[in-house]
Amino acid sequence: MATFVEKVLARAAGLSEVTPGQIVDVEPDLYMSHSASWRCIRALERLGTDRLHDPTRIAMVMDHISPARTAKTAEDQRLCREFATRHGITKFWDVEAGIAHVVLMEEGLVRPGMVIIGTDSHSTIYGALGAFGTGVGFSEVTATWVTGKLWMKVPGSLRVEIEGGMPPGVTAKDLMLWLIGQLTADGATYLSVEFHGSYPASLTVSERMTMCNLAMELGAKNAYVPPDDVTRTYLSERGVPPEAYEEVFPDPGAQYLRTVSVDVSTLEPQVACPHTVDNVRPIGEVAGTRVDQVFIGSCANAKYDDLVEAAQILKGRRVAPGVRLLVTPASRQVAAQIARDGTYATLLEAGALITNPGCGACAGDGGAMADGEVTFSTANRNFQGRMGSYRSEIYLGSPATAAATAVRGVITDPREFL
Amino acid sequence: VNLVEKILARASGRAQVTPGEVVVADVDCILLHDLSCYLTAKVLEEEVRQPIRHPERVVVVFDHHFSPPTEEQARMLQANRAWARRHGVHLFDCGSGNLHHVALHGGFIRPGAVVVGSDSHTPVHGTVGCFATGLGNYSHAALGLPFGKAWFRVPELVRIELEGETRPGVTPRDVALFLTGQIGEGGMIYRALEFAGPYVEELDVFDRWLFPLITVDVGAKSGHLQPDERTLDFLAELTGHRPEAVRGDGDDVAETRGWEVSGLEPQVACPPTVGNVHPVPEVVGVPIQWAELGGHGGGRLQDIRLAAQVLRGRRVHPEVRFNVVPSSRWVFTQALREGLVEELHRAGATWFPPSTGSNQAINMGALAEDETMISTHARNFPGRNGSGRMYLASALTVAASAVAGCLADPREFVR
Repeated sequence: MATFVEKVLARAAGLSEVTPGQIVDVEPDLYMSHSASWRCIRALERLGTDRLHDPTRIAMVMDHISPARTAKTAEDQRLCREFATRHGITKFWDVEAGIAHVVLMEEGLVRPGMVIIGTDSHSTIYGALGAFGTGVGFSEVTATWVTGKLWMKVPGSLRVEIEGGMPPGVTAKDLMLWLIGQLTADGATYLSVEFHGSYPASLTVSERMTMCNLAMELGAKNAYVPPDDVTRTYLSERGVPPEAYEEVFPDPGAQYLRTVSVDVSTLEPQVACPHTVDNVRPIGEVAGTRVDQVFIGSCANAKYDDLVEAAQILKGRRVAPGVRLLVTPASRQVAAQIARDGTYATLLEAGALITNPGCGACAGDGGAMADGEVTFSTANRNFQGRMGSYRSEIYLGSPATAAATAVRGVITDPREFL
Repeated sequence: VNLVEKILARASGRAQVTPGEVVVADVDCILLHDLSCYLTAKVLEEEVRQPIRHPERVVVVFDHHFSPPTEEQARMLQANRAWARRHGVHLFDCGSGNLHHVALHGGFIRPGAVVVGSDSHTPVHGTVGCFATGLGNYSHAALGLPFGKAWFRVPELVRIELEGETRPGVTPRDVALFLTGQIGEGGMIYRALEFAGPYVEELDVFDRWLFPLITVDVGAKSGHLQPDERTLDFLAELTGHRPEAVRGDGDDVAETRGWEVSGLEPQVACPPTVGNVHPVPEVVGVPIQWAELGGHGGGRLQDIRLAAQVLRGRRVHPEVRFNVVPSSRWVFTQALREGLVEELHRAGATWFPPSTGSNQAINMGALAEDETMISTHARNFPGRNGSGRMYLASALTVAASAVAGCLADPREFVR
């Protein structure tokens, strides 16, 4: 009678069963490191070893600063390239690839039942395909490179049952912001958050990614959506047959610390207000707030579906004068898709500035604000000073709300454009 | 009377001017980019403290940043925006494109005009028959903005006659690079250059553009072509308004120099300066890690089409990152319509917002020590792009090198 996380960590630790609070040594299947990979390499040098447990489990993606704008960053990135070549690390994606999480999922490297660690807090996103994903420090990744193991405390589990039909103009992002507002930023600290019910089952993998990504902002250790035909189709489209993975499901009688039930049928668009992600208000309470910049990007909301969602509102309209709309596609694949289907042209003609794929303004690669400026962002964090000045503000919401806001120049309910 | 004398006489209210004479001329257009705007505005506000005489003649384009990476840079752009709004000057924010392309597309540049700007490549507007030159920020703050004027010593004119037809794989950029090498970086100090002859006359206006572009690189004050029907048709199509032609007459030139371009090979400017120009075969094989289409002379639709010729059916070398930076939103949109965005992307190139791209490495383009970039940019001085080395070449050579992973002769890639 075990939850998802108890089962998946027991397998990865080679144990028949584990219980919450127990410390276990797990063998992760994949170790992701992003632009901070150079730190891992430097830490490895300090450990005085060049021996890697299994280079095939190492994945590196140069996503946070792409490409370099200082010689120091250029040196760091070159160090990663050379390290990857020297050690035969084939799962290496350079500055042009896009956001690590999205790239690894598109490449079919994230599979149900896997245990994945990453040098990025939003590694919870891998739960969208039924994997265990969690963020760790770069020195922990370095240690795992060498030993193939990492210790973890088995988390307790929170079960979120989500039912109902989502109203038009309201998205998985809104649901997650609402949930974070309800439960607060430490509402699921070190818990495995499982999403069940008819709503998550109805979602695309892209939407599930948004949910599992945002679960981090509840304090979650990891997040999970049960694998189903949507998962299997996504994987088989990427050349991953069902034989290549083992799906893990919670047992029917598993013990949860808490179960939360949500009915989405009356949900409204939600906005996280400055300066915490759990400072959430329904759109009506913040509509009319002036913005200087709108950022559609990040691992939360810059996937193909997200950009199409924004483009539906921007089509035939123009960004409000004096407002900067910054769009950063999550990956090369996303950029190729939007170039092919006309979304790229729609965004450009609306006045958007479309950057190369990557983390973009979410990670401080552009989009910095001066004193008193306001950004409406589709990212997952709005902490004070995250995008430049300590006296600037970040609001978070869905791509639809972001697009509506860009058109009006003030925070706007996207349902007005339906 | 040559074109420069004619323009400067008109602009200074004199019947005629002669080389060596100092004149105070009315300026028709002042071009500032994000970096120079900040400095110029600071001097105007703190030391000059005068209103702008002709705000409608001032064009500000944020092209060095496509998005500010730091709070300090965000503050600079914020200050520029507030200044531009306060004075009512034309402002084109991040992502609009390269200053000179935006000014031309915006209809601010007309034959016979006096165009000044902080950017040293401002002479490029001589392409459509302007007297155009770069001035310091203090000149704009002290004379240009408050009085609408600038002073000049009337330069002597040198005519550069080009004839012949280049072979396949050799582009106008190669001819322009060749001339830079031939004339030398100090070869035309304070001269005005008139590019003439059947070779340039047969070129599209955006290819002619590459010649006035190099004038500063050989030390000249300005460079131009005499506007012709092609110029006027071009401006009419670009801006919806067909201007009057202003042309010089007679052979009032200090010197004429001529080159025959028919036998020319593709050219490349090697580190460390723009005048260190060699035929491509001399440097073939130098490994590169970065390639870029962009900059004043390199994000044109022509360049993108040339790169597509090379990349069709090929892939960017796995150890090369190939950046494509359109020179304007118009170019980006047009490239999308022609399917070139998807085509180059699928071949491994990465698209960036319209801007000056890696110029001075503000948003991108810093190189590690021992890294090498080949680009269509206008400058390759050490330290401009981090620690690495920069080669400058045509879009064909850049694309061919991106595919080969090393400096490559484009004639092996195009027929």
